Amino acid sequence: MEQTATRSWHDPGLLVKALPSVLLQTTCFIAPLLMTFILTFQRTRDFQLRWTWDLATWTDVFSKPHYWTILGHTLVMAAACVAICMVLAFPIAYGLATRFKRFENEIKILITFAFITDATLKTFGWVLFLDKKGAANFLLSGLGLPPESVAFLFTDWATLLGMVYNLLPFAIFTLYLSIDTIDRSLILAAYDAGASKWRAHWEVTLPLCKPGIWAGSVLIFLLGVGVFLEPKVLGGGVSPMSAELIRQTFETRVNWPLGAALTLVLMVVSVFVVLLFSRILNMKRAGFGT
Amino acid sequence: MTARGQDRLIDISLYSVMAVMLLFFYIPIFTLMAFSLQEGRYLTLPFEGISLKWYGELFNSGPALSALRNSTLIAFFATIVSTVIGTMAAIAVVRYRFRGKSAFQALAGAPLAFPQLLLGIVLLLWFSVLGRWLGFNTGVVTAIIGHIVYITPFVMVIVAVQVYSFDPQLEDAARDCGANTWEVYRYVTIPLLWPGIFSAAIFAFLLSWGNFYITYSLAGSTRTIPTFIFSGIAVGSSPLYPAMATVVFVPGLLLVTAAAALRRRSSRTA
Amino acid sequence: MTTAPILDIQDVHKDYNTYQALKGVSLKVRRGEFIALVGPSGCGKTTLLKQIAGFEDATSGTISIDGRDMAGVPAAQRPTSMVFQKLALFPHMTVAENIGFPLKLRKVPAAQIAQRVNEMIALMELKPIYLDRFPRALSGGEQQRVALARSMISSPKLLLLDEPLSALDVKLKKVLQSELKRLHRSVGVTFVHVTHDLEEAMMLADRICVMRAGRILQLGDPTDIYYRPADAFVAGFIGETNLLPIDVVSRNAAGITYRSEGIADPTGTIPAPLVADSVSPGQALMNVRPELIRRIGTHENADCAVNATVTEIFSKGGTVQYRARMPEGHDLAIEIQGTSALPMQVGENVRLGWAKKDIWVLAPGEA
Repeated sequence: MEQTATRSWHDPGLLVKALPSVLLQTTCFIAPLLMTFILTFQRTRDFQLRWTWDLATWTDVFSKPHYWTILGHTLVMAAACVAICMVLAFPIAYGLATRFKRFENEIKILITFAFITDATLKTFGWVLFLDKKGAANFLLSGLGLPPESVAFLFTDWATLLGMVYNLLPFAIFTLYLSIDTIDRSLILAAYDAGASKWRAHWEVTLPLCKPGIWAGSVLIFLLGVGVFLEPKVLGGGVSPMSAELIRQTFETRVNWPLGAALTLVLMVVSVFVVLLFSRILNMKRAGFGT
Repeated sequence: MTARGQDRLIDISLYSVMAVMLLFFYIPIFTLMAFSLQEGRYLTLPFEGISLKWYGELFNSGPALSALRNSTLIAFFATIVSTVIGTMAAIAVVRYRFRGKSAFQALAGAPLAFPQLLLGIVLLLWFSVLGRWLGFNTGVVTAIIGHIVYITPFVMVIVAVQVYSFDPQLEDAARDCGANTWEVYRYVTIPLLWPGIFSAAIFAFLLSWGNFYITYSLAGSTRTIPTFIFSGIAVGSSPLYPAMATVVFVPGLLLVTAAAALRRRSSRTA
Repeated sequence: MTTAPILDIQDVHKDYNTYQALKGVSLKVRRGEFIALVGPSGCGKTTLLKQIAGFEDATSGTISIDGRDMAGVPAAQRPTSMVFQKLALFPHMTVAENIGFPLKLRKVPAAQIAQRVNEMIALMELKPIYLDRFPRALSGGEQQRVALARSMISSPKLLLLDEPLSALDVKLKKVLQSELKRLHRSVGVTFVHVTHDLEEAMMLADRICVMRAGRILQLGDPTDIYYRPADAFVAGFIGETNLLPIDVVSRNAAGITYRSEGIADPTGTIPAPLVADSVSPGQALMNVRPELIRRIGTHENADCAVNATVTEIFSKGGTVQYRARMPEGHDLAIEIQGTSALPMQVGENVRLGWAKKDIWVLAPGEA
């Protein structure tokens, strides 16, 4: 029996290693969040912050349906992005973890590189590709198709494409990690018990990588509600999402308290949606069993 | 159908999905590379001619070069600091059991699941308010800090994977051989964690170098490659921007390949 | 030459939060001795080793090595050296670098290190061609020798072995056991060997220390432990044995007087040398090893005799094991040479007997 003592924060080794992270994230993440909250009770006048300590901003937020329509649209887009990413990522993650032994490293490098390349560049590339006079139409008309058959740039579909494109690697990585850690003998045991490939997959692999599916979904959803580049560049700003609204509030309207409030609303609502879903999933599990 | 045939079918379909997906991943990248070769002034098809002249323009353009310099500077400092902090956090998380560990993990990893633009805005508010009190403006330094906040959790996760596969008994063995705390780190811990630390550092560098959202909020008037290109998209641009994008790709691909090679070598020696 | 113990452990306690891993262990190890710490997993033997090596600090008690109190002395500065269960060879160093590492840390000049490394691989009978290879390229047995070489190169006063042979297959284990024995004889260093394998301990050690639940149950030479276990747990741990319940009527300087339902003993006494100190009037157990029981004829006399029915037979190659049930329900294990003149059949009613000198009486204890 291996026993390890719980080490306390008095252990200098632990303190040295953990403290920098704690300091960094409290001073540059938690404190700014608190500051954002405090700012929502102030006002800006003549491009200057005034410390007024009132609820004017919040009254404004709750009385304008416009903000909430945009928020709703953002949540729907993020949810759609989660669903598409999961469906697309699963076969790839599964293949990487179990079957692509020969090209595993090459594929990983290619995906990592695509992931690590700056989103602005890739989004810009998509514009050039999807534009009415872009590469896609040029190639297709070369094949004899009518001109401008690809014409969905500056629609929600283009935004969604950009979001899926930029967030898909997160889905692949989280699913890959969870499938990779499944004990292979469990699947063999399922075959052994007479299950077909599909059945083994359905009954063993899928349930076992549920934590991965869930983690990936949460991550993509939370990142998806904050996208700004895709709706602006690919969606052409036609139907703005929350992040774009927030940016405009800061930059164009120079209304910091309102921007801060909208930022917090977006965060709180997203986290609430995540919690709601986890509650529903847990209830389902408790109710029907698995 | 035989089991073997079924197996082949699964393989073929998975490989096809993979191929389509890779194509999808590389469409915008290849498009950019292609457009960088356009000889004419505008980003329209068909090309007026194929040439490398925009690459020449790029290296003569003051703003483009200064964006390149700023990106490199920011990425350099952000990489060093976030690699050190993130590596220590990874060791703390994997190797120690302590009260409040899950709280520590949540705190140290929180920015991972935080939309970058919002992180940028929240930090912008923070630095603006602090700046007014303490008398500084946003610029390169605040951008570096923002990058560190965002990248350190990534480093922590990558290095943690390496720490997991590291047998802590090796440190005991080193101490038993007569090594003091520093010598244990120098001769055993760091050499064995090195592949993880190195690939985390490369990852950190690339994340910082290509970062748009946080730089956009925090760099003040300083332009980096991504913000420079963003301004280019808006202006209705010339092939200068695709050329710049292509230049940005090359070191990225080299570094990612180097990291993967190193990882593979280490998994063979381990 | 001093006769003071090389290792002196006094009342050592070790707590992990609320779990008490060591509950007061005292042990003196003689210079040059090969001592084995034996016990089931969780008995505290590895914990004790860690306190000796200095990887952990004991909660209370003292550990002295060569007369010097080790409290507060870090592992790096103790004159001990450990061979780990999983060997803990550094995967990023070659065999030569691994073996020479302790000397490198002591700032020994490179030429001298190389010379010592060569001496060590000669002692371990490793081929010099391995020196530039990485540990993973070596077989399990060779890795073992490298680990031993690394531990011995700094000439430790105490070599601590934490079950280093447990992962090996039976054949290789036997080879390395005799290797260890040879090494111990040739270098004269004190060995403290932790194992859960009593057979291994019997074969290697001068003295065996049986531990259980954080305490030392018995310390003695292998014969002592085998034939004169301190209690039922030690007796049972050492392999299959027979523990027959008896009633001790009285105890005096000469020995004990006892009664037992199944055992026919004309004298009803057992002399003092065959009785554990802890036995007092009341319940006790008579320990008889299976190989010391034989079949006797119906009218043949024996110091102790019982009637039993044979219930099972297992052939173990050279020997045959029987199981026989006594009338009041107690099962006996018997081991007889396969060439025995008096084979037994299942279902047969037999008389079994043993000599009084082969008896050991011990207190019941918790088994």
